[in-house]
Amino acid sequence: MKFAYYPGCVAQESGKELDMATRWVSRKLGIELVEFPKFSCCGSGFIDEANLTLNVALNARNLALAEAAGLDLLTVCSTCTGMLTLANVKLKDPKMRAKIDPVLQQIGTSYRGTTKVRHLLHVLTEEFPPAQLKALVTRPLTGLKVGAFYGCHLLRPAEEYPTEEPEDPRQFEDLITALGATPVYYRGRVMCCGFPILFVKEGTANHIAGRQIQDAKAHGADAMATPCPLCHISLDAYQNKAEHEVHQALDMPVFHLPQLVGLALGARPEELGLSRHLVSVDGALAKIGTVTVPA
Amino acid sequence: MRRHDVVVVGAGLAGQRAALAAAQAGRDVAIVSKLHPLRSHSGAAQGGINAAVGAEDSVDTHIYDTVKGSDYLGDQDAIEFFCREAGSIVVEMEHFGTIFSRGADGSLARRAFGGAGFPRTIYAADRTGLALLQAIYEHLGTETITVYEEWDLVQLIVRDGRAQGIVAFDRKHGTFEEIAARAIVIATGPAGRVYSRTTNAHSCTGDGLAIAYRAGAWLKDMEFVQFHPTALLESGILITEGARGEGGILKNVNGDRFMTKYAPHVMDLASRDVVSRAITTEIAEGRGFPGEYVHLELMHLGKEKIESRLQEICDFSRNFAGVDPVNEPIPVRPGQHYMMGGISTNIRGETSIAGLYSAGEAACVSIHGANRLGGNSLLETLVFGKQAGIAAAEYALTAALPSITADDLSAAERPVRAMQAKKDGVEPLALRSEIQSVMDRWVGIYRNPADLGKAWDALADLRRRSSELRIIDQTSSYSVNLGEALETQHILDLAEVIVAGAIARTESRGAHARVDFPKRDDANWMKHTIAAFRPEGPQLSYAPVAYTRWDPKERVY
Amino acid sequence: MVETVHATFQVYRFTPGVDSSPRYVSYEFDLPPHTPVLSALLKIRQEIDPTLAMRYSCRSSICGSCAMVINSKSRLACQTQIGPELARHGRIVIDPMRNQPVARDLIVDQKPFWHDYERIDPHLIADPAHPMPEGQPNPMTPEQVDRFYETPRCIACGACYSACPAKEADPEFPGPMALAKLYRFVVDPRDGATRERLLKIQPGGLWTCLRCHLCTAACPKDVRPSERIRDLKELAIAAQGVTEAGSRHAVAFKENIYERGLLNEGKLARQTLGLAGTAAQLPQAMRILRKKPELLKSPPKIEGLAEVRKIYEMLEDEERSG
Repeated sequence: MKFAYYPGCVAQESGKELDMATRWVSRKLGIELVEFPKFSCCGSGFIDEANLTLNVALNARNLALAEAAGLDLLTVCSTCTGMLTLANVKLKDPKMRAKIDPVLQQIGTSYRGTTKVRHLLHVLTEEFPPAQLKALVTRPLTGLKVGAFYGCHLLRPAEEYPTEEPEDPRQFEDLITALGATPVYYRGRVMCCGFPILFVKEGTANHIAGRQIQDAKAHGADAMATPCPLCHISLDAYQNKAEHEVHQALDMPVFHLPQLVGLALGARPEELGLSRHLVSVDGALAKIGTVTVPA
Repeated sequence: MRRHDVVVVGAGLAGQRAALAAAQAGRDVAIVSKLHPLRSHSGAAQGGINAAVGAEDSVDTHIYDTVKGSDYLGDQDAIEFFCREAGSIVVEMEHFGTIFSRGADGSLARRAFGGAGFPRTIYAADRTGLALLQAIYEHLGTETITVYEEWDLVQLIVRDGRAQGIVAFDRKHGTFEEIAARAIVIATGPAGRVYSRTTNAHSCTGDGLAIAYRAGAWLKDMEFVQFHPTALLESGILITEGARGEGGILKNVNGDRFMTKYAPHVMDLASRDVVSRAITTEIAEGRGFPGEYVHLELMHLGKEKIESRLQEICDFSRNFAGVDPVNEPIPVRPGQHYMMGGISTNIRGETSIAGLYSAGEAACVSIHGANRLGGNSLLETLVFGKQAGIAAAEYALTAALPSITADDLSAAERPVRAMQAKKDGVEPLALRSEIQSVMDRWVGIYRNPADLGKAWDALADLRRRSSELRIIDQTSSYSVNLGEALETQHILDLAEVIVAGAIARTESRGAHARVDFPKRDDANWMKHTIAAFRPEGPQLSYAPVAYTRWDPKERVY
Repeated sequence: MVETVHATFQVYRFTPGVDSSPRYVSYEFDLPPHTPVLSALLKIRQEIDPTLAMRYSCRSSICGSCAMVINSKSRLACQTQIGPELARHGRIVIDPMRNQPVARDLIVDQKPFWHDYERIDPHLIADPAHPMPEGQPNPMTPEQVDRFYETPRCIACGACYSACPAKEADPEFPGPMALAKLYRFVVDPRDGATRERLLKIQPGGLWTCLRCHLCTAACPKDVRPSERIRDLKELAIAAQGVTEAGSRHAVAFKENIYERGLLNEGKLARQTLGLAGTAAQLPQAMRILRKKPELLKSPPKIEGLAEVRKIYEMLEDEERSG
């Protein structure tokens, strides 16, 4: 199994632990990650607000790079997944095609539209049957109640992800079950983390994040897990501010998806960058009989 | 007390157009509606709005098509006025912001419709009613108008020979309220829910019609009820004629394409009344499917054509019948669709009561006569809504101050509160279902004296039981139950008028098909039925049809 | 014989001012799987309890009356079949819409929703420079029509408003329906107030949208409000540049990527927040930097940055020095 690895910006910077965990899990599962130092940012839902055509063109270039290598993209960020998929959808429109093709030609490339964009979550659940994954688990996360938090762009707009129910998905929860943990179903799991307006209306953004964490907590979650590093920023790095907005101490550890998988497959916490979180994951680790090594 | 120059009851296209006209004339206008204006049933109209604006078309042809379509029961002077107004009324709606479908040159697109000599139906995809409703509502927002939203009309106050105001029920607060008005426009739409097999919304219960009738207004031609051939089984949702236009075919339980027998030339695309009668015959003679329906087959058209041209039909079939038209036939049967009759008015919307006006499907001018053409109903709402608004505004300018007394309010409220006070009795929805099954069974497409007699007797029995109607819901706020009790009384009154007119009319004309009198009888029956309320039941009389230029001929398509 | 399924409904019941708290009442029936939730509710009203309060009218997804929350999704009751809901959840839980106060049972007070709709001046505003052609419809090119032809599909049911987390968090935000409706007027060639509309909506309106697309998932008529809001943002920036924190952020982000091909997170924060804003963020930044020190460094430039810059130059109007 071989993919063009698209880590996205944040996993290469403030969310480096996501990149570490992804590489660890991929090695363990025999997923080959091919590096593409030419990949540019997906636009993150911001560039398209200023110039949709530009955003589609930038991602057409990314998709073309993978296509030329005959590989599908592996993403580890809900937003990257959404933006790259959006480009694939928009490029089916002949009017958009007519604008993009000449641009690609100018930079000496072209894109036929064959590159699939697959998030690590989809690869894990679609390529590894639960039984197979279960067999690889060396440290079952028994007793840990985990609230999945999908991130909007992994789910919606719906027609771009025909295998998922946009307001009622199950893939992440099924994976959590396969790892031995107990999934927690709560309304907030498909809601927004507030990140898109973190720099625009910080209070509102923090409030929205706080509501989702509150919801997970109220449903008994010991920890949350997300396939999106932007959600992680909102839920983890700004949790202190979210607590302030919703007037409640939350103390909710938030795992990146591959960190949770890595733990179950036997990774040591330091291999997954767990000490880089703002909210300590020690409580959750204690539940599954593991301790962190101080960074 | 609340007081307005003009009170418009009903907020569909006709009501809003009337309100707009009256407001533009400078009157203080209020709208009373049991639904938010944007939830009105006008929004469900799909096909389009007729206007002879194309170079190859002519207003005269539109007039002729409408006269012929009416089976010569429409008033020709009214039809002439109606068709002449069409062009300007459509342009006006475009200026208000209606998002119409357009041709490649930017002009308003037009499509062909049944019974029309030219493609003169202007449309907005298959949501023309919705597009018009939004535009008129948006434009009405630029005028100062009071809207009493989610208020049911309960009573019309008529005293000293003129309308003086209304009593209404405020659903939200659960209170009865009076509004004095110098002039009143009834635009409450149809009473399709007299039947259960209807394409009409649940709220189409003829409230204004029944209340005006009880207050002394005449109803006209109520026995003429249009049935659409293809309503979805169970839900009764309309499956547009376009499905057959694209090549869909009807089949009976033996797999036979039965329309070859009834209309050898145009087959499945024969006019609505012909196809509806054919389906009814097939079912009556035992060739329907168990559960009394036939199949509309689209499968042979192929997935791509079905999904691109008949997208709404696909959605309806899948969502509301659990059937995918790409792979299976759609179960259909005829369903009540439109009422040609209504409150008797002239082209100014004037009724038999001074100060009381009516427009839209609640009214009968008459332009549709015995059978309405597709694309003429949306046009009617706007043309005559505007006229009624203008006339009501003129009347209100000189009318004396209306007088309403505290007794008017309590007289209207008392019987409703009495229903609420009953410990035991008949449930409104149960009685409504019984009325509907009487009408479905015996007052459908083919009518015979025996069935009509059974219907008459059954309604008399239901009338007696209606005195036992009770309202269980004692909560003041949003007693849906209370509204349903009022509506049930309305449809009972109107069902009686329909049956009385159908028993009396011993001919077949347009939508009224008497088995025992299969031919049109111009010598005796080229006249309008007028029904007046009497405590013992409707009193019928007849009025002449207005002629201008077109002599009756046999109606052949 | 029609196949049926056993259906359990748990229906929210509450009369403010009468009941001390909401409760759920269970109803059970055997029904065909394609039965609409609305039909089941009407069956409850007709056969069990006529006091269940709800709005309904057309039963064919065109009047917008019966929007409610069905198994936690904002939906039309008439358009939702019971079969798939039961298959997934085993029962059907029905609540009133969110973001609007409950009036009784499944009926909400839609006043806030209509108020937000009114805020966008929902009517054509005449353009004195281009009066309507007398007695004639306005001509339009197919391109002009294309931009807003689908917009009348909106039936104002409020499902999007109910689903919107931004509305929930910020009462100032007008919600998806009003903004999708605003788009309809902004792109209408007959409207004379496009610029004023964009100016008016920007503070507190446009840029609070989270583009979570929950509105688009909830919409029963495929109006896709979140995409229309995105369109409005692009139009707003094109019409008047960066006047809001939101537009400043979008444009700053775009410029940020031009420099290296990847995001420079630290710099973006400074660009969007400005000097004072950045200073206010210092304590939080210090907290984060302790764990994630690489935020201080600029990331390397991607390989092939020239290609990315070429794309910018071809698709952006402004001159660039690189």
